[in-house]
Amino acid sequence: MALSIPAIGAARAMAPTARIATTTAPTAAGSSSGSGVIGQFGSMLDQLAASQNKADALAVKAASGDLSSIQALTMASTEAQLMTQLTVTIRNKALDAFRDIMGMQV
Amino acid sequence: MSSTFSILGVAESGIGVYKTWLNAVADNVANIDNVTSTDQPAFQERFVAVQEVPGGEYGEGAGAMVSGVQFGDPNGRVTYEPNHPLADANGMVRRPDVDLSDQMVFMQLAQRGYQANVNTFERAKEAYETLLGIGK
Repeated sequence: MALSIPAIGAARAMAPTARIATTTAPTAAGSSSGSGVIGQFGSMLDQLAASQNKADALAVKAASGDLSSIQALTMASTEAQLMTQLTVTIRNKALDAFRDIMGMQV
Repeated sequence: MSSTFSILGVAESGIGVYKTWLNAVADNVANIDNVTSTDQPAFQERFVAVQEVPGGEYGEGAGAMVSGVQFGDPNGRVTYEPNHPLADANGMVRRPDVDLSDQMVFMQLAQRGYQANVNTFERAKEAYETLLGIGK
């Protein structure tokens, strides 16, 4: 069952401008430096929140007895779980890269 | 349907199709002994019609979907049961044209298909988790 993480919404709010930059010029996201990665991460957080909301809605349906297809809930919760793992992995990697750069000797 | 973890969606569609088939088989078996008078139609066997879902990154397909239900012969089998309360003047009643051994085979097939799709789902999940483990 997917956990509801309200902090995702808060974290999402940290990169609003970066997301606009990627949505207006998605081709530039790969070549541009910092904002591209953060922008991608912002839209990824959107996806994560969407998949968790979907899983939550189906979990509520299951609890209230309105769920007609069990496989939909299984898929949604698995997808939310994988999406969370993917987001956390990418976040950790991005942070590692940032730390490496900040720790560089000048 | 998310394209990031698309195999999950494909496997889920297969699970849904086989679940529907199992439902139809269960319904056929539940109604197999229904008796109707000869001026009424017999219970019609349920057949689930399934078709592919076009899609996928390279057009390899995006799963299966139930496109509808087909119904068997409404005439059923007219049998001679003169003592039956629903029998007509000639002593005939109508029974559904459903074969129990057919239904048992369908049930096995549907169950195996369901299991296969659940396996696909689990393998896909494992594969995705392994892939995400590379970054750690």
